[in-house]
Amino acid sequence: MQNDAVRSSDAEIVRQVLDGNVNAFEAVILRHRVLVLTIVKKHVPEDAIEEMTQEAFVRAYQSLPTFKGTGDFSHWLSSIAVKTCYDYWRQAYRSREIPLSALTEKHSQWLEQVLSQRPEEALDDIEPQMEAREVLNWALGKLSAGDRMVLELVYLEGFSVLEAAELLGWSKANVKVRSFRARMKLEKLLRTVKEQGRRGR
Amino acid sequence: MRSRISENESLKKVFREAYSAKGTSETGKKWQSQAMRRIRQIGPLRPAAGFWPAFESMVWRLAPVSCVLVLVLAFFFVNTEPEVDSDYLGTMAAEMEKPTLVELFGLEG
Repeated sequence: MQNDAVRSSDAEIVRQVLDGNVNAFEAVILRHRVLVLTIVKKHVPEDAIEEMTQEAFVRAYQSLPTFKGTGDFSHWLSSIAVKTCYDYWRQAYRSREIPLSALTEKHSQWLEQVLSQRPEEALDDIEPQMEAREVLNWALGKLSAGDRMVLELVYLEGFSVLEAAELLGWSKANVKVRSFRARMKLEKLLRTVKEQGRRGR
Repeated sequence: MRSRISENESLKKVFREAYSAKGTSETGKKWQSQAMRRIRQIGPLRPAAGFWPAFESMVWRLAPVSCVLVLVLAFFFVNTEPEVDSDYLGTMAAEMEKPTLVELFGLEG
């Protein structure tokens, strides 16, 4: 019932904006900023978060006439936020602005250590998490923008193929193929890290 | 068969934890006013165009490309002489040399 109320007020705000009340869009930003920020924060580097969140809302405003009003507004907005992040990476790859930090022996050792552990043995220390992030960022930086987005959505966030396809606006088959390909690439990259560690010893 | 590193449950768990920790950084509120400033600059929206206006704009967008394509093809055909020794043309020429049934039996009126 509460969800219906929220949805109807979203529809009401959209109607006001489409009627020419530009300032009514501020309510959309206030209502959905947490959702959009959460999505953007996960997909783009820290220094680009604010710019991409802003961009996502501007795009949402421009695309508002295409919102049919029958579906969930937050879902529609999430899709725009995800596509904005995807475009960010496409642009970054085109201009080759992806910083790739080199991995060291420490990362190989960390990988070996994690692989030898059982899933229930939690790694709560800051240090392993930092290394996980470094390895992950390094591997993601080696993938194309599309492979990166699919891997993040399906492998890291746990979205289903259908959900990822809806968010990216791609076909289910495309997401399936990309997801498989991206995982194979990740596998190859992780194997390289592991092999490097062995050779270093 | 080698087991996949990327499918290792421990690694998956650690990667997912590290990834979800990315979304916890604090952000300012400056972007909100900047977004609204950009939106006000865009101004009021026009309702979504129907099929025909959208089709018309697409046709006009493709018109220069079509013109260039026509010119390129015209230039290509004007400047390309048919090769007489090609198999196809040879067969055609030989066929044309053969007497037709009309000529053979003198059926011409």
